[in-house]
Amino acid sequence: MTIRNALRDHGQRYRPRMACLKKAEKVLLEMQDPCTGVKSQPQRLVITIIPHAITGEDIIAWLADRFQIDAQEARSFGSMLVALGYIYPLQDHKRLVIKPDASLYRFQTPYFWPTQQWPVEDTDYAIYLAKRNIRKKGILELHEQEQYNHLHKWMNHKWDFVVMQAKEQYRAAKERKKPDRVVFDCQERAYWVVHRPPPGTVSAMDYGLDRRTDPNTDETQTPDYYERIMIFTQQSIMRPRVKSSVSIGALVKYSATYSGHDPFLSKCLPSSPWLTDDTTYWTMNMSNVEIPTKMRVERWTFSFKELLSDPRGRDDFRLFLKKEFSGENLAFWEGCEDLKWGTAVTMREKAEQIYKTFLARGAPRWINIDGKTMEITVKGLKHPHRYVLDAAQTHIYMLMKKDSYGRYLKSPVFKETLKKAICPEEHKFNEVQLEQNARNRRPSLSPIIIRQQEQEQRAKMAANAPVDITQLCRFTTPVPHLAVYTGIPDPPSVTASPSLPFLAHTPVCPSPISVALDSTSASERRMEASDGEGNAEVRAPEGGNLSKSRMALSLRRLLKRGCSPSAMFASLSPKCHTAATTSSRIQPITPDEPSQAPPRRIGNFFQIKVDIPPECRIYPIESEDEDEENRPASRDAVVTEEIICPWESLTRQNGTG
Amino acid sequence: MPLVNNKVGDDCTASGDKALADGKALVDSLIKVVACYRHLASCVGGCTDSLQLRDELRQTREKAQKLAGDICHHLTSHLRDKSLPDGQRKEMELLWVAFSSCLELLHVDMCKVLNISGIVSLADSASLVHTGLEGGCSDVAARALSLPNLNQAQTDSLPAGLESQECNTMELEISQIDRMIDDMEMKVNVLRWLVEPHGPQYADPLSSTDSASMALLSIDEEQQAPTSQPLCQRSHIFVLLLLLGVFFVAATLSLCIFFFS
Repeated sequence: MTIRNALRDHGQRYRPRMACLKKAEKVLLEMQDPCTGVKSQPQRLVITIIPHAITGEDIIAWLADRFQIDAQEARSFGSMLVALGYIYPLQDHKRLVIKPDASLYRFQTPYFWPTQQWPVEDTDYAIYLAKRNIRKKGILELHEQEQYNHLHKWMNHKWDFVVMQAKEQYRAAKERKKPDRVVFDCQERAYWVVHRPPPGTVSAMDYGLDRRTDPNTDETQTPDYYERIMIFTQQSIMRPRVKSSVSIGALVKYSATYSGHDPFLSKCLPSSPWLTDDTTYWTMNMSNVEIPTKMRVERWTFSFKELLSDPRGRDDFRLFLKKEFSGENLAFWEGCEDLKWGTAVTMREKAEQIYKTFLARGAPRWINIDGKTMEITVKGLKHPHRYVLDAAQTHIYMLMKKDSYGRYLKSPVFKETLKKAICPEEHKFNEVQLEQNARNRRPSLSPIIIRQQEQEQRAKMAANAPVDITQLCRFTTPVPHLAVYTGIPDPPSVTASPSLPFLAHTPVCPSPISVALDSTSASERRMEASDGEGNAEVRAPEGGNLSKSRMALSLRRLLKRGCSPSAMFASLSPKCHTAATTSSRIQPITPDEPSQAPPRRIGNFFQIKVDIPPECRIYPIESEDEDEENRPASRDAVVTEEIICPWESLTRQNGTG
Repeated sequence: MPLVNNKVGDDCTASGDKALADGKALVDSLIKVVACYRHLASCVGGCTDSLQLRDELRQTREKAQKLAGDICHHLTSHLRDKSLPDGQRKEMELLWVAFSSCLELLHVDMCKVLNISGIVSLADSASLVHTGLEGGCSDVAARALSLPNLNQAQTDSLPAGLESQECNTMELEISQIDRMIDDMEMKVNVLRWLVEPHGPQYADPLSSTDSASMALLSIDEEQQAPTSQPLCQRSHIFVLLLLLGVFFVAATLSLCIFFFS
């Protein structure tokens, strides 16, 4: 009906099937039958009498009788007919419901019946509003006024036509008799209440998105059509089957668990925004909120998936894992999700980064997956695609679910969150306040801004990421000149860099555990030894300084045990300066590797005991023994060359792939 | 619409202005016819639906189509003329937009009438929806056809096959309008976003305000709230007071006359 554009866009432009309309029409024709239909009575207005008015109770009685249903259902059915626009109320014309009393209704003329084929045009609405304005200036309500202005802006080119047509229709209406004019006005008004509902109400003709296929055309029986049917039936046969008792049981369980949390099915605290236009419910449940609601926290206990899918829950879980020093699992899982859902352009680098960070031998945040999965993953990484890390991700997910989740639910972190969770009061709005809310409806934050905020959050988080202290080791600390890690020679940027901060803490930085345990002597010795081997002249004096300052710092650290690793690392920054400077000299050191091997061996021995040499961190205990022999060999490969991804070059694959 | 009689100006512009004026007149009458057609169409399927109404519809439709054909030729020929001066071209484009909108409205109305006549058959008078209308729309049709009054068709019986015949003709006409719209779009490229209207956003209320039907409608609304009785009561009390006042004045005057005479 609209201006036909020559381009056939094959897009979604068809209204869906509305089978209820045809059925409602049949019912209506039966209802209006003078003999067997609803009894009509004349409506008495001031001067005139207009026939064919029906009462609400008569309609309901007729429907109940005709369809053999109870009064409640008849009432709903009647309300549906009114909401669709087949019957319109004469009093209280804005509320499209059937009242089971003597309130009057009338049948709508077929011209104004709702149709599936033809959408309601804005041009007609503009003409209608202009007509009303012509009749009496200032009669338009606020929302109509807004619509009028909006249409004037968007249909500006045909505004002359709109006004002229409105005038002509008005003049043509004058030719009719007065009662007919009144009836026509009522009909038109009712039509527009259905199709352009006033704020706070919903049109019954709302159908969501347009569809791709036109339901009014018959589908042609082409070979394609039959092929589609064949594929569909074949797939239906091949589908795995589940016993209906099992599936129904699952559905029942799901409904029972979640029905209390559904804002439509049960009460929504403080108030349902869809009903009261008050957005407190949404702002309280945003992803970056400090204190979650009790319902939300309860939801986290339903399943691990719930916990992870809620950003606030994930934050809480992350905090817990940080305390348990197994944050790499969640970080890996998030990295895999990022890979799966990210853009194709960034996939390769993301896969590389994940491999270097989590999977490679000697990776800084090495995750513990079994050998077979590791093999499959690494082999798949030769040709990375979106789902290459699926197996590893599932493994880690199951690990977290079976192990960490249970402990999280019993942990003090969760208990604390549960205690602090708020249960908001229910709002009690009166009519005036509801109207005010409806008027103050504003769009929420633009998704662009939300995405920016998320990215900032992520950057901040990455900057303050917990260093997986258990994983740091001379074998796992990366070589700083890797392209992956944005360089950190600048001390001020050490803690502010978006990349993982442990980069700053190269082999020379002592681990907080070692410092906290106040065993600096061995580490000092170690430090000096390694320093001496390298550029001795620079390091020796610094080593002395370091030892003194380290003593002071370690004492301080002992006093404040509860500080987070990042804070501790921040306080280590003066040392990191030297560390950074020395780190930049790693390359020259590397030729000296073989000479360093024996002292490092002794370091390994120390590792088992409490005092840990600076270069060594607590390597994953399980793999300690088995890797001990491989370490020097692999270490050479690792340290001399960067941590290579197996797909980067096949020639350099030796022990990393 | 007064013809612009521009004898002083260039011959070309004079003829152009005349063409513009002609076009405007045609478009205005088409708008009127389409408006009347809409009123007539709104009665179809209701209790006032009759052969007469269908006849009126048909006549209005024919008139509209004739007008549409004329305007189409007129505007197409002028808009394809490259030598048209800019101002006139703008006016022509405005007319063009109005014309295409008219055609669309006509198309919708015709389709709806066809649809309704399929659902609610004239033959079965019991199925005509009781919409509350009582009078016919012959005056509206007369307005559309610009005739002082319409001679009433006196056919009471429904000829067999009229409905199907009507359906066919309607379908033909609808497809004709379809083709006209398509043709229009193909032949003339009017950029709608460049067309600027002349008139104000709010149309001035027409002088003869329809107070009576307004009153009826407003009372209709007031019936909704039985608690809005005070409004009626207040007006009653006011009238009563006024009458009392007049009565008292009359009484005092008569007393004065009685005493002083």
